[in-house]
Amino acid sequence: MKTTRWALLLVLVLGLFAAACGDDEEEQPAGGGEPTAEAEQFPEDTTMGRIQAAGEIKIGVKYDVPPFGFKNPQNDQIEGFDVDLGRAIADKLGVEPNFIEAISDNRIPFLQDGTVDLVLSTMTINKERDQEIDFSEPYYIARGRILVPQDSDITGIDSLAGRKVCTALGSTYEETIKEQAPDADLRLVDSYSECLELVQNGAVDAVSTDDVILTGMIIQDDTLKLTEGEPLTTEPYGAGIKQGDRELKEFVDGVIEEYKSGGGWAEAYEKWVGQYTDEQQDPPTMTLQEALEATS
Amino acid sequence: MTYVFDPDNWEWLVTGNNVRFILEGFAVNLEIAVIAMVLSLICGLALALGRLSRWTPLSVAAGAWVDVFRNLPLIFLLLYLALSIPGAWPDAYEDAIPSWFPEGLQSGRVLAAILGLVLYNSAVLAEIMRAGILSLDRGQSEAARALGMSYAQSMRLVVLPQGLRRMVPATVSQLITLNKDTTLVSIVAIQEVMRHGRIVTSANFFGGVQAPVLQVFLFVGALFIIVNLLLSRLSRRLEIHEQRRTAVGRVQRVRGLEEQAV
Amino acid sequence: MGDLISVLTDNLDEWLAGFWVTLRIVAIAFAIAMVVGTLVAALRIAPNKVLQRLGGAYVETFRNVPLLVLLFISFAGLRRAGFEVGPWEAGIASLGLYTAAYVAEALRSGVFSVSKGQIEAALSLGYTYRHALRRVVFPQAFRTVISPLGSLIIAMIKNSAIIGVSLLALDDLLKTARVISSRGFQTDEAFFWAAVGYLTLTGLATVTIRFLEKRYAIHR
Repeated sequence: MKTTRWALLLVLVLGLFAAACGDDEEEQPAGGGEPTAEAEQFPEDTTMGRIQAAGEIKIGVKYDVPPFGFKNPQNDQIEGFDVDLGRAIADKLGVEPNFIEAISDNRIPFLQDGTVDLVLSTMTINKERDQEIDFSEPYYIARGRILVPQDSDITGIDSLAGRKVCTALGSTYEETIKEQAPDADLRLVDSYSECLELVQNGAVDAVSTDDVILTGMIIQDDTLKLTEGEPLTTEPYGAGIKQGDRELKEFVDGVIEEYKSGGGWAEAYEKWVGQYTDEQQDPPTMTLQEALEATS
Repeated sequence: MTYVFDPDNWEWLVTGNNVRFILEGFAVNLEIAVIAMVLSLICGLALALGRLSRWTPLSVAAGAWVDVFRNLPLIFLLLYLALSIPGAWPDAYEDAIPSWFPEGLQSGRVLAAILGLVLYNSAVLAEIMRAGILSLDRGQSEAARALGMSYAQSMRLVVLPQGLRRMVPATVSQLITLNKDTTLVSIVAIQEVMRHGRIVTSANFFGGVQAPVLQVFLFVGALFIIVNLLLSRLSRRLEIHEQRRTAVGRVQRVRGLEEQAV
Repeated sequence: MGDLISVLTDNLDEWLAGFWVTLRIVAIAFAIAMVVGTLVAALRIAPNKVLQRLGGAYVETFRNVPLLVLLFISFAGLRRAGFEVGPWEAGIASLGLYTAAYVAEALRSGVFSVSKGQIEAALSLGYTYRHALRRVVFPQAFRTVISPLGSLIIAMIKNSAIIGVSLLALDDLLKTARVISSRGFQTDEAFFWAAVGYLTLTGLATVTIRFLEKRYAIHR
């Protein structure tokens, strides 16, 4: 009967709807609860104290940039190098981390208006951004490089003339490619996952961005590789902190220092980057001052 | 061609969390569509009444508003709002939204998306409603006035109920279009079905099975076709029901508006 | 104010290029939509049940699928399956085939509006069925559909913006606005000029349609 069939389909659709909605209750706990006993208690008028009172720290991370910040569809967990560092900071405060998605466009506004307390989303330290927010000491040095298919004849920045190169709209690489390879055909898209798609299906010849993001692409598709040769740029990553919050900056710097010297950094590196690239790296020793000078 | 039907390329449907992940994204699209539709109907009615008003400044202003927003690309509105909404608004949104709301709607960015959708669709619906009301035989409103009703009463009791009923098919048509338009909010980084589909295609990093882009998006397309077909069927049933109810010959369909819902 | 003008004049060649891209996309896609739409409409009114179903399936599929999904399938999907589809081809074909479904419906209702008597008269005058369609029905049907087709062109102008923001990344008007705005943080100014561009296009279309309607359309 037509009516029953139609009704069944409607019920099916509503059922899907309800099922998808219903599972949202089993979320990561949104904070609350007292800080654990081992964590140092901070005075209430500091940011750290406020965070401890709230029971959670809101950290802006990327949801779509493996291996630094991404949402694993198999278990709905947020994972990555940035995420692990975020956990270390949260542990030091004795609170739960609440990872919020911060895309390149809105991570600075989110800091400024308090949507997040901290930003750990593959954010390069540069003078321009430093005017709006404060940075921690660098916690990772990424380098700008070029990704091509295994069988490509492109060997480096010099052989990009006339070739299609993909990068994200609004990223610093737009300028970089224009300066270093002015004859390249620049294709700008919304996000790096689109660049990956384009290079995989041959619509562009190369992708250029931080080696970290490119590594994430190689992990997903090992028919891609990085070109040899000098990196295009140096990209020191820093945690983003609301401008003027010196106490939080000191605190975060302290945690980062401990992370680097105490082995946490090396462990995270091996887990998220080293095992895929077979490249060794030591924790960065660059200071914030040097980073600001190195990048324009 | 064999690529399309090769069972290996469809294996992702039955392994891991993939289908549920995509459906979760799809639920976000449907939720946004419903909210935007309700708000657009309300605003659209206000705009339509404004256009029909006998006070010229109002009808001119409403007319200009409707013409501008009807003729701008929706994606243009979405992008502009996402970039330029003052930071305070998404914050206020996030504070106001109750926690039992689905997770996909918690982010402040959804405010820009819904605002854009409502601005656009209310303008389109305003036109549909205005055409529906104007298509009503003048005799109706004249008779109402002759019976001693005021302008407001004649609108409320006679003109609007009949006129609005005529635009039901065109409105459902617009709802279908709205449903499709929700995919555009993926451009402003909302985690809905397009984004989730894209994540599923990169699944092998996450320990899943390789899910090819073609198959995944054929699946997503099928989801939309199913829901939208159901909506069309619903619309047709409402029309038939309406015809049976009024029994005054065929209910005149407001012509030429379906094409606006593209 | 000076800022507003300078955003336009400093980047004038980019703006014009973007405008031209949008124009080309809409023009070619419209041509495709008309051709395919006419074919599908013919299928829908064919005396053969199978052909009718075929036409119906086309319309139902392309009307209910979002354009963005279609773009993904036609560009990313097909390329992975081995077909060398470029962004231009994929974008224009998607927009054209998508709109064709609506064109087919508009034509079909236009055809049905031609009274049966016309067809019977033509047949009794010795026209073959095909001849009757071509000489009597379609010309009259076309005149009735000027208005709906006009709305479809306007819809295409708006939908063309989707192609630029998708991964096809064509440099159309909206894309140009985004590139310019991300360079200098002049979002409001850049988007203002993009709006001007789109309203110009839709305005021109509207004026043309009204003109054609006055001259040719049959009012019922």
